Amino acid sequence: MTLTGIITILMYALAPFIWLMLAAAVIIVGLHLFAYLRGYQITHHRSVLALLLAGLVGLTAFVWVPWFTHSTLDYVATVVDWVALTSAAIATFIVALIVLHPLSYLISDRRTD
Amino acid sequence: MHKPLLLNRRELLKVGTGLGISSLLPFSAVSANTLQTQAHIVILGGGAAGMAMANRLATRLEGGTITLVEPRSTHHYQPGWTLVASGVWQPDKTMRPNAQFVPRGVKWVREYAASIDADNKRVGLANGATLDYEYLVVATGIQLNYHLIEGMSPSLVGQHGIGSVYASIEGATRTNQAIQTWLDSGQGKGIFTAAPTPVKCAGAPLKMTFTTLSRLEASGRRDAFEVDFMAPGDALFSQPWVNEFVKQRFDEQGVNRRHHYRLSAIDPQAKQAEFTFVGPDSEFTSHHQLREAEFRRDNQPTVIADYDFIHVVPPMSAHDFVKQSALIAQDGPFRGEWLDVDIYTMQHNRYPEVFGIGDVIGAPINKTAASVKAQAPVVEANLIAVMQGNPLPARHTGYTSCPMITGIGKAMLVEFGYEDNFAFMPSFPFIDPTDESWVTWVMKDRMLQPAYYAVLEGQA
Ligand SMILES: Cc1cc2nc3c(=O)[nH]c(=O)nc-3n(C[C@H](O)[C@H](O)[C@H](O)COP(=O)(O)OP(=O)(O)OC[C@H]3O[C@@H](n4cnc5c(N)ncnc54)[C@H](O)[C@@H]3O)c2cc1C
Repeated sequence: MTLTGIITILMYALAPFIWLMLAAAVIIVGLHLFAYLRGYQITHHRSVLALLLAGLVGLTAFVWVPWFTHSTLDYVATVVDWVALTSAAIATFIVALIVLHPLSYLISDRRTD
Repeated sequence: MHKPLLLNRRELLKVGTGLGISSLLPFSAVSANTLQTQAHIVILGGGAAGMAMANRLATRLEGGTITLVEPRSTHHYQPGWTLVASGVWQPDKTMRPNAQFVPRGVKWVREYAASIDADNKRVGLANGATLDYEYLVVATGIQLNYHLIEGMSPSLVGQHGIGSVYASIEGATRTNQAIQTWLDSGQGKGIFTAAPTPVKCAGAPLKMTFTTLSRLEASGRRDAFEVDFMAPGDALFSQPWVNEFVKQRFDEQGVNRRHHYRLSAIDPQAKQAEFTFVGPDSEFTSHHQLREAEFRRDNQPTVIADYDFIHVVPPMSAHDFVKQSALIAQDGPFRGEWLDVDIYTMQHNRYPEVFGIGDVIGAPINKTAASVKAQAPVVEANLIAVMQGNPLPARHTGYTSCPMITGIGKAMLVEFGYEDNFAFMPSFPFIDPTDESWVTWVMKDRMLQPAYYAVLEGQA
């Protein structure tokens, strides 16, 4: 398949979610900007709570991702299924952390204000 | 459930191009292969196959005229109909305006073709006009012959416990409602049927049985429901491994299989179906010749069965106007019913300027959109070779694919071709065609429709 073909398929697959993805991107960028303006630095701030919460959110992917695809965890059976679902859970964890990490700074920052 | 698309693919691709993706695309390679021509090419039918050819030829040919004869303004994604009839998808997810796919520069005639005069290279339209062609691509798909089942008509779908995923998108929607009504009644007998002719997506009647079984099991009252599957031949599916798998799974799930029976009549008011015993020699095979005379044959034993829900699969053939033309197969297994093409080159066996693609062709397997994906580059290359007077360079392997849904939420990716008794031809080495898998279901639910639209646009 050509690169154009792959892009065409991806565009059609992502099209229903494009506004959702844009909204998420705006929220994430906005949150990071706001936090940076208040002194947040991604490498300096440590939050075990954010890490734990993001881990929990990541784990929820094992329930909602199959549901989102009109299926259930019972049908996740083959190695490929597990690799795909685990990847989805890791992606969810990363997105949750990107949100929760600056948020945890802002909350703790506010406490110290 | 699913939100309608807010941006279409072409708009998105424009955005992508603006972002610099265009520099990565092999546009130069495409333009290098264009053919200068003055020829007039007519494509009959703008479904999966016709639209893919219109897009491919529009890219490859410069200077010629391409006319697409397609009466419908809405394009239907038919592989989604099983999901609609199973209550998984909303119907509007399967519909797009055809205008979105017709390429610039292609003349779109929004009319039904009514006749083909192959000797004079002329197509007659339903409005009385005619179109002359130098090259013809026949892509008119399949005709649903509900009338060959006495008492049956597609307008009955959704009433009196009758379902039929094939009827139309409205029919698929009403089939879902009919199944739900049966489920809500809490008990009763469901009969699933298959046709004694080749059908599009031969797996669809099996998928409807499996998804209904899922719904029956989810209701918590599976034992209160009886499920029968009536098959005209000994087999349920052409691929031997899958055939055995489905039979075994039906047995495990308490489906009563009865073979060598075809649905011959239906009495909607009485909720009774008549099945004709077609003999132990009958097979599920494309080699059935569908003749009105055969369907009307008397003195064959019949059985009458009561039902609360019945899934009707009509006999299928090429459209009547194709059957009445010289392009129809005149001998061999497809005679009188299907377009007479070489199943490897897709060229007509007697009219070299004519090609066939998609469901309309006489071939032992192949009535899927996945086959169209494999056939389109073959037709493109071979038609262009004919235009240049060159030997035909491309061959179709018979590739076909069916994500065999074995329950709501799981499926098997069954891909096979003509060779070695329909041996598997897996596209993804990491997906075992014999495994039931969630990922395969996700492909069916999320990825195949985008891939289908890429085929329409001539991109895949
Ligand atoms: C319920 C169901 C489930 C399916 N599931 C799958 C699946 O899972 N995977 C898969 O790959 N395939 C599946 N298919 C099959 C797939 O949809 C078809 O094989 C594919 O659409 C064939 O393309 P085609 O262009 O030959 O026919 P079609 O897409 O049916 O297009 C034929 C076109 O011809 C036009 N036409 C008809 N008569 C005339 C006329 N007289 N003049 C001009 N135009 C005319 C029609 O309007 C139509 O647009 C399924 C089909 C159904 C119905």
